[in-house]
Order: sequence, then C-alpha cells, then structure tokens
Amino acid sequence: MHVPDGFLSPRITLPAWGAAAPLLWWAARRNFGARAAESLPVVGSLTALAFVVQGLMIPVPGGTSAHLTGVALLAVLYNPGVAFVCESLVLALQALVLGAGGLTVLGVNALAMGLLGPGAAWLVYRGLRRLSGPAAAFAGAYAGTQVATLAVAAVLGLQHRLDPAFMPVPFPVVAAAMMAPSLTVLGIVEGLYTVATLAVLRRARLLGAP
Amino acid sequence: MALPEPRRSQAILAAWAASAFALSAVADLRVLGAAALAAAVLFRRGALREARRVALGVLPGALGLSVASWAWLRWLGRPAPPEPFAALVLRAALIAFVSLSVLRRVELVRALAPFPTASRLLALSLAQIHALRLLATESAMGLRSRLPRRPGTRDVLRSSGAVTATLIALSARNARDVADAMRARGFE
Repeated sequence: MHVPDGFLSPRITLPAWGAAAPLLWWAARRNFGARAAESLPVVGSLTALAFVVQGLMIPVPGGTSAHLTGVALLAVLYNPGVAFVCESLVLALQALVLGAGGLTVLGVNALAMGLLGPGAAWLVYRGLRRLSGPAAAFAGAYAGTQVATLAVAAVLGLQHRLDPAFMPVPFPVVAAAMMAPSLTVLGIVEGLYTVATLAVLRRARLLGAP
Repeated sequence: MALPEPRRSQAILAAWAASAFALSAVADLRVLGAAALAAAVLFRRGALREARRVALGVLPGALGLSVASWAWLRWLGRPAPPEPFAALVLRAALIAFVSLSVLRRVELVRALAPFPTASRLLALSLAQIHALRLLATESAMGLRSRLPRRPGTRDVLRSSGAVTATLIALSARNARDVADAMRARGFE
C-alpha cells in the first residue's frame, strides 16, 4: 500500500520529511527513553518484529496472497508512538538495505502507514474494547488499514491536483485501485491476524496482552 | 583518486539521495530518457539483474495504474496524452534502478560507522531480523509438513497468530539480553 519513489514530487515529499523527522524523534524519546542501553535493544527488537511480520504472506482466495503490516497489533499492544517508530524504521531498512519502497517518499509512507493507520487502529480499539475485546481488535486493525490506504491515495490525489502533468493518475483511479483490495481483503486479513495474535498472547499470558 | 571508506560509501549515499530527489522532480520525458541512458552507462555492471528486479517489482504497479487511468479518462471523454503516463512509469523505474544499483555498491554498515547510535541500531535490527526470520521460516515449514494439503487462509492466519506471539516473546527476551550485554560492556 505504500507509495514508491517517482510518484510524488519534492513539493510533497520534502514537507513530509520535515514533518515526519521531528515527530519520529519525539516519539522515540518519549517511548524508548534517551539512554542507549535501554532504548536501542527494544527499538531494534520491535523493528525486527515488525519487519518479519510484514514478510508473513497470507494466501487469499483467488490464488494470490496478501502481506501483513502488523502495525495495528503494535499500536494495540503498546501505543501508536511505538508503532510509528518501528514502522518508520522498517520502511527505512527496506529502502536502505533492500532498495524497496523509496527514499524520497519515506516521510509520506511513515506518516500514512506508521502514524495515521496505527493511530486510527488504537483509537477505534480504545473506543470499542469495553464492548468486546476481539471485535474491538478486529475493528481497530480494519479501520487502521483503511485509514492508511486512504491517506496514501489522498496524497497521490493531491499530487495530481498540484501537477497533473507530473502525476497523470486522477484520484478516483488511485482510490479505486488501492481501496478495493484494502476494503475487501487486506483489512479483513489484518483484522483476523490481530485478533488471532491477541488471543494467543492472552491465552499464553504473555506481555499482559489486552 | 578513490576516497577511503567510510567516506566513499557516505559520498555515494549522499549522491544517491540528491539524485533520487532530483529525478523525482522531473516530468520531461526527454530528460528522463537521457538520465536513464546515463544511469545504464554508469551502472552497466549488474545492470541486467537490477533491470529485471525493477521489471518485476516496480513496473507492474506503475504500468497498471497508468493504463487504468488512461482508459478511465478516455471513457470519460477526456482522452489524455500518453507522455505524462510514460514519464511516470520511466521515472519510477529509473529511481528504483538507480537505488538498487547504488545500494549494491555501498557498504551501509561502514557508511554509518561514524554514527555509533545509528550503526548499533542497524546491527541490532539486522541481527534480530535474522533470528526472528529463522523462527518464522521454520514455523511455516512446520505448518506445511503437518497438513496433508496446501495451507489455506484460515490455517495460515491461525498459525501466524501463534508465530507472532512467539516472535513477540522472543524479541522481548532478546531485547533484555542485549540490554544486559550493553550495560555489562559499559554502555549507558
């Protein structure tokens, strides 16, 4: 669901970098502390966890497969700040080590997939968890996936509005291409995965899972 | 005269970042074509391999979106010229090609050597990824071996939940162990 390099011009990517970098610094300091021996191992482990979870492929009807993001789970288990730091580092690792995703669009992707998506997932989960834990987890993960996808589609639409000669793909096409799989497959898979993981954590009494 | 490491890798990374942002601002098809030619000459060693990765990883999405948009605009009665779509596809493919070619020539760990926090974080993350990925791969193989058929959506989802719970427990334990080891070596 992330934007690859070349789809957004510096008119959007540079301000996104400018917004994401201080937010990332603040979230890392607030959630992991300033001392290296305390913060680095936890950040490294959770980033690795998010990275590996994103490699888990779920076969979906139709012969294709969907990959998880796992950021809603991090937001529910810890908080959206932790999910933002870890997802941003996962995106940076993918760009710098694997050459996947993109360097110029890192700020946009981090804000959409690392901050807005997990933030929405956390808010929905917190709002619904008194009614039913599993339903709240499913709804949170589903909503988080949709919000992240919609944010990415909106940014691509904004680029089309700013300069149609640079980004000729109009918003309705981007929105349809991204939201259709997100609404019908990716959100459901992410929701079921979040519920399944929380159920195992609760049963095994690991980490005081909600 | 060639620069010594880590200056060489840092210079290449800085040039890559600057060129990626510069290319991401170009909409002119002729400029993009000239840049693609220059990149093909500059990174000719291993160019076919990187071009194949770009063709598999970037082109399907960019081409699909472009064709769908072109068809949609035509259906609306507002046919668009093909040049912006060609520029979009070429720009995305070119930046991906340059990125892959540069990253194959750079020693990332060496480039980060003057920045201890960043290099420690990179080393820790990569080591943990290796450890956790081994567990995830073995779990997937275990699931396949236990079932008489190909695992379906429900099987994999249920297994992913259990695997993730184990990964979370393992990553928490690894983080504690690494923190203890760092403190024992005098890190604050």
